[in-house]
Order: sequence, then structure tokens, then C-alpha cells
Amino acid sequence: MKKRKMFVFLTMLMYLFVLVGCSDGNDAKTVSTNNKKKTELVYASAKDINDMNPHLYGGSMPAQGMVYESLVENTEDGIKPLLAESWEISKDGKVYTFHLREDVKFHDGEPFNAEAVKKNIEAVQNNAEKHSWIKLSTKIESVNIVDAYTVELVLSEAYYPTLVELSMTRPYVFLSPKDFKNGGTKDGVNGFNGTGPYILTKHKTDEYATFKANENYWGGSPEIKKITSKVLPAGETTFLALQKGEVNFVFTDDRGADSLDVEAMNQLVDSGDYQLVRSEPMNTKMIVANSSKSDNPVSETAVREAIWHSIDRETISKDILNGTETVANTLFSPNVNYADVDLKKRGYDLEEAKEILEESGWAAKDGSDVRTKDGKKLAMKLYYDSNSSSQKTQAEFIQASVKEIGIQLEIIGEESTSIANRRSTGDYDLLFNQTWGLAYDPQSTISAFTSEASYLHTTSGIANSDELYKKIDEVMVSPDEKTRKSLYADILTIVHDEAVFIPISNGSVTVVAPKNLKGISFKQTQFELPFELMNFE
Amino acid sequence: MRLFENLIKDRLGTISLIVIVVTIVVGIFAPIFAPHDPEEVNMSLRYASSSWDYLLGNDHLGRCILSRIIYGIRPSVLWVLVALFISVLIGAVLGFLAGYFRGKVDATVMRICDTMLSFPGYVMALAVVGILGVGLENILIAFTLIKWAWFARIIRTSVMQFAEKEYVKFAKASGISDVKIIYKHMVPVTFSDIAVISSSSIGSMILQVSGFSFLGLGIQAPNAEWGMMLNEAREVMFTRPELMLAPGLAIIMVVSAFNFFSDALQVAIDPKLITSKNKLQEELTISKIKLQKRWQNNL
Repeated sequence: MKKRKMFVFLTMLMYLFVLVGCSDGNDAKTVSTNNKKKTELVYASAKDINDMNPHLYGGSMPAQGMVYESLVENTEDGIKPLLAESWEISKDGKVYTFHLREDVKFHDGEPFNAEAVKKNIEAVQNNAEKHSWIKLSTKIESVNIVDAYTVELVLSEAYYPTLVELSMTRPYVFLSPKDFKNGGTKDGVNGFNGTGPYILTKHKTDEYATFKANENYWGGSPEIKKITSKVLPAGETTFLALQKGEVNFVFTDDRGADSLDVEAMNQLVDSGDYQLVRSEPMNTKMIVANSSKSDNPVSETAVREAIWHSIDRETISKDILNGTETVANTLFSPNVNYADVDLKKRGYDLEEAKEILEESGWAAKDGSDVRTKDGKKLAMKLYYDSNSSSQKTQAEFIQASVKEIGIQLEIIGEESTSIANRRSTGDYDLLFNQTWGLAYDPQSTISAFTSEASYLHTTSGIANSDELYKKIDEVMVSPDEKTRKSLYADILTIVHDEAVFIPISNGSVTVVAPKNLKGISFKQTQFELPFELMNFE
Repeated sequence: MRLFENLIKDRLGTISLIVIVVTIVVGIFAPIFAPHDPEEVNMSLRYASSSWDYLLGNDHLGRCILSRIIYGIRPSVLWVLVALFISVLIGAVLGFLAGYFRGKVDATVMRICDTMLSFPGYVMALAVVGILGVGLENILIAFTLIKWAWFARIIRTSVMQFAEKEYVKFAKASGISDVKIIYKHMVPVTFSDIAVISSSSIGSMILQVSGFSFLGLGIQAPNAEWGMMLNEAREVMFTRPELMLAPGLAIIMVVSAFNFFSDALQVAIDPKLITSKNKLQEELTISKIKLQKRWQNNL
């Protein structure tokens, strides 16, 4: 017995040493970050920055946003010049002529000129099937060099969102032609030299990536000299890292998942070292239903409507999200362009949900919790991002509500990449998703209804999908504002009536940053942040 | 009866036994003991602290933590017991065959055991989950598949000790059938060994099953399970640390109860262990048991 006690004692002693050893190491780190805090940001990200090739979709968008730039910028007040100083649009809307800035150089010293623009756009066009979600890629006929700093974009037909799509984080951004592999970018690239305010200096897969300020940036060298993207699991690890000073910045990631829960964020703010900045509502968080999965009850409009009715959005917004997000009743909030359409509101009403199910033949056999029809159970699967704590809670909450109306919902948490993969292969019943943000809504999100990589599986199972697709094609090329308005109204009414996008809340981008960081602002997209405008007091 | 009397003498063993029996009874009759429906969501009580209605407070969906702990006994303890029983059963059958008949049977069974034991337990469990998908039943299947080999091996050793005894040889010589010999002469003497090894491995099995549920590979929401409750509490670990207490303590209590009980059982079965006269014998047995335990923990 004595020996046993000794053993226990020794084990405890060992634990103690290990623990002490741990905290020592971290203390040292904290000190070092404190010393050079003034010009450095370290942000936590649940995912690696991945492949930074701007003409493909594997990379992290906030990181790509720092390194690459587009011709024009989408701001609150509309399209503004960025790499193009000015532009003209021909009367028939088919030819766009851009006058480029003459003082721009790529990170490797190559000049940014008409030739670089032509090469980049052609590199994107050579990989057209990857870019089917962005309709501009199907409209570009040729890119012509007019003179060294003037470039002409010729379209096959007038396409009104051209400038908006050129302003996006990808794919129409510019990489030094020296980095091209085999004259293109689709087989990978040799380097990541863009024109943006930050230069990628070091990347260790699944550990960290560092970016340093571009001293020769045409817009002036940014004040934050170094940015590190550190891969940390979301949740308490990130929280501890923030408390210890190992990282000092977190924000909503490009798939809409907050790495901290609301209370943890508030606790950080209360500690006095951090501030919390929230953008205006930018997107709609929603559940996407796979209408094309015909062997599953989710392909029935009535079932989707019943789910819509059984979600208590008020409680989700108030209790689960602590009032940080507002209730959403439609796919796009009315302040989005063209989205101010009068649609029937489906509120939280379990009785009505039951009635709808009853009418469509889903009957609750006596004693059983789950409704059946023709021997088939009313059972579905809902996928959520396992890195987002609020999605999991919402999923559980919804699971409990739909149980009351007789739907058996299985909830499954997965990595965001796996969820994106499910969305594009159609291997899901229901999954959490979000619209793409002010710059993309409604036109890009709506054109994504027809793209296999996005929402094709969601929309293709509805009754009048052909009509829907025809209208989407029409609206993108219609030059007349009034026709566009009515077409958009039709499109939004169709998807609303079919209830394939079940809205939950209007999400925003959240930033937790050091208290003395100034100049935190947001872009029109939820996918990137203007780090170059930030500075320490 | 002697066994029982011996057990009663050991106070810690008695307490452990009471804890185990109470846990099992409460688990089986969970609907009677639980004050609320464990899956009843009530958002207005989100993270409410304990009250007379909800003795242990409420979780992130306002569900009653006490009820969830009570219902959690089923997957966390009862189903683990079932899995343990099945793997002991498989292990016992094969162990008896190998230990009693020796020869080719022994060689075949033992080589299969070697193969099974050469994989790390956790990796095997993950592989099974990877093939069959997540879920409590798959975890339990995985455990049954892994553990039987270990039981088979221990039981075979124990059977072999007795298979060479004079009275067994005598029974064989007098023409009694093998089945009868095993049933009449082997099972009773080896039963105590089986009881001790299975009770000592239940603790680690409970921990492992809870561990898998903690990782999200075990039972799926909304069912209550202690490991999963810990994982849910982990998300608010720094804002509401008290949520970790209930499931954490439940696991600690049940696992320690099983471990203390297994120690007490060992002593009760072999009273030599409590007498101080046979010091040498005690040391020897204890170190043997320790060795077994360590091996098992490494598994």
C-alpha cells in the first residue's frame, strides 16, 4: 500500500512539473509579443491560408484580400477606382475600357500594366469551368491592349454586374505574370506576388503564415507592419491564446463561423484589453434545403415550409446569439438591391407547421414521435460547421422544435470544407449556409443558384426550376432597370414560395481586436478586412 | 456467501457497491427518477443556475442537467456494461476452448488474439467508426471487437492452471464429456478470475466510451451522454466553468466506484490478500495484478 501512495505522489509531482513547464513557456511568449505589439497583428484562424493562388478557390479569402487587388472596388457608395483610375463603357454595354494606374508594381518588382491585366484575365478564362458561378466569365470575349496602361474588355453581350464582379476578391485579381506556370495559373503558380498592401513572407502549412507590409504600396505603406495568421482550433484554445496575448485579433471567418462564443467575447471586452467591433448586417444566415434529393422528404415543399414555420427566430436571435444578430424572414434583407419584394412572412407557428404536414399526407401514427407517409419516416439530416459553437446550439434548438411537429432531425457537425463539398456534390438534406454579403447579393448569390458548385442542388428540385433558371439568365443581361427589378422580384418569389432557403438571422462580421487598435472598418464583403487602414494609437 | 461477507467487511468496497447499484437502478428506471424530460428545450432557462425545480441547473438549451445526467447513465454505464458482457462472453468461450483443448485450437485462437492485440485499441475503434459511421452502437461494436481478445487471453491462462489439475484429469479419465467438465469443474473455479478482470476493465471502458463521445464520435445529439455533456460544457469553459462539474464528477464517481469495487472483489475472493502472514504471497500477487492492469491501461 505504501508503494502505491508513493506512486500516486510521484505522478502528481510529475503533472505539476509539466504544468509549470507549460506556463513558463507561454509567459515568455507573452512578453515578446508585448514588446513589439505596436505594429503587429496576429490573428487566429481555424483554417490554414491554404493555396494562395488567386485564380482558384482553395485559399483563405482574408489573406488573399491582403495580397491581391482588383481593377475596381465595391464600396458603400458604389464602384470606385482601385487599380484602374477610370473607365468608360461603350453605348451598347459590350466594351469596357480601363485606364490603369501607372505607379503600381507587383511585389516582385514587375510593372503592373495592360499586358499583366490581359495575361491575368486570360489565365482566368482558360479555366472557365471553375468560375461558372461568376457569370462574367462566360461573357468575356477578348481582352485587348490599347496602350501600355489602357486595356479593353470586350463582352459577348451587355452584362450589367460586370464592374461588381470585377471588384470581387477572386478571381479577377492580379498576380505577377512571372509567377505563372506554363503561361497560366490553373496548374498552380510559382509565387504569390500581387499588388496589394501586404506581401506573403512565410507560410508553414497548418501552423502560421506571415505577411509584411508592402513598403512600395501605391496607396502608401500600411501602418500595421506585420500580420500573422495563426491556425488555432476555435473555441477555448483561441480564447486562451487571446488572453495570453499569443494572438491579438480574431474575426468571423470566411465561412461565417465565429471562433468564440458571444459570452467569451464579452468577457474579453470586460477585461479591458480588447474591443469588439461589429459590422452592419451583411448577409443572411440560413438553412439550405436540398430540393433535388427526391428520395428524401426534404424534396417536398410542404416539409420545407413546415421547418420554416417551426424555427423560433426570435429566441435564436435573443438567447442563442445574445441579440447580436437580427431576425431574418427572407433570403435577402430588404435593404439589399432589388430585394425589397413583398413576400409572405412565415412566422414561428408550430400549429400551422403541423397543419401543413397533415395536409400533405404526413400523418402521426398514434404513439409514434415521428410522422410517416407511405411507410417512409419524416427524417432528415442537418449539417453544421463544427467550428461554430452558435451553429451547433442553433441546430440542437431546431432539432428540438421540429421534434414537436413530428420531424426527426439528425444533426451532424463537420469541418467547413466538408460542408462546402457536400453543398457542391448534393450529398445533404439540410445544411447551414449564408448568403455571400452585400457585394455579392443579390446578383452573385442568385447566379449561384444555377452553379453546381453552389446552389444547383438546392434549386434544381423545385417544380418550376426551368422557369427560374431562364429568369436568372435573363436578369443578368437585361439592360433595363425596370425589367431587372421585376425579374428579381419573380426569382425571389419563386425561391421563397418553394422555401428552399430557410432564413434564420442577418449575420455580420465580428472583430475582436486590441483596445488601442484604431481604424477598424469593413468592406462590402464579409470575406476580407481592410487591414491596411488599421493602426495602433 | 463467504464472498459477500468478505465484501461487507471492506467499507470502501461496500460504498462502491452501493454507488454502482444505485447508479444502475437509477439508470434503468431513468424516467421515474428524472425530474424532467432530458430533451425538453426551454430557452428562457438557458444557463440558469440551480433551483428547486432544476437541482443542477440548466444547460445551453435550458435543458435540465440532472435529468440529462440520469438519462446519461444509460449510454455511459449500462450500454458499456452490455458491451463488456458480450466481449467477456466471447473471450470466455474462446478462452475456455483454447485453454482446455490446447493444441491446434489453442494455437489458432491465440494467433487471432495476437493479431487483434497488435493494433492499438483507439486506432481500431477509430477505424471501425470510420467504416460504420459515428454513433454509440458503432463505438460499442468497436470495443467488443477489440476487447474480447484480451479477455480470451487472460481467461485461457486461468483455465490452463486448472486444466492440468488432478481432479480434471481424473474426470477426463472416467469418461465425463468435455462440455460437462468445463461446466462442472472449470467454470466455477475460473469464475472469480473472470469477475475480477472484467470489473477492473469496466472503469477504463467507461472512460474510453465517454472519451469518444466527447470527441463527437459516440452518441449523437440530442441524447444525453456524460462525455458529450462535458464537450458541450467545454465551449463555455471560461465563462461558466460550473457546467463541467456535474458530468465530470459523475464520471469520476462511477469510474472510481468500479475501480474500488474491483479491488475489494479481488480481496474478497482471495482472502490471502488481507492477512499479513503471507506477506510474500501478497506482494507477488499484487505485482502480478499491477502488471495486468498496466498492460490493460496501455491497451
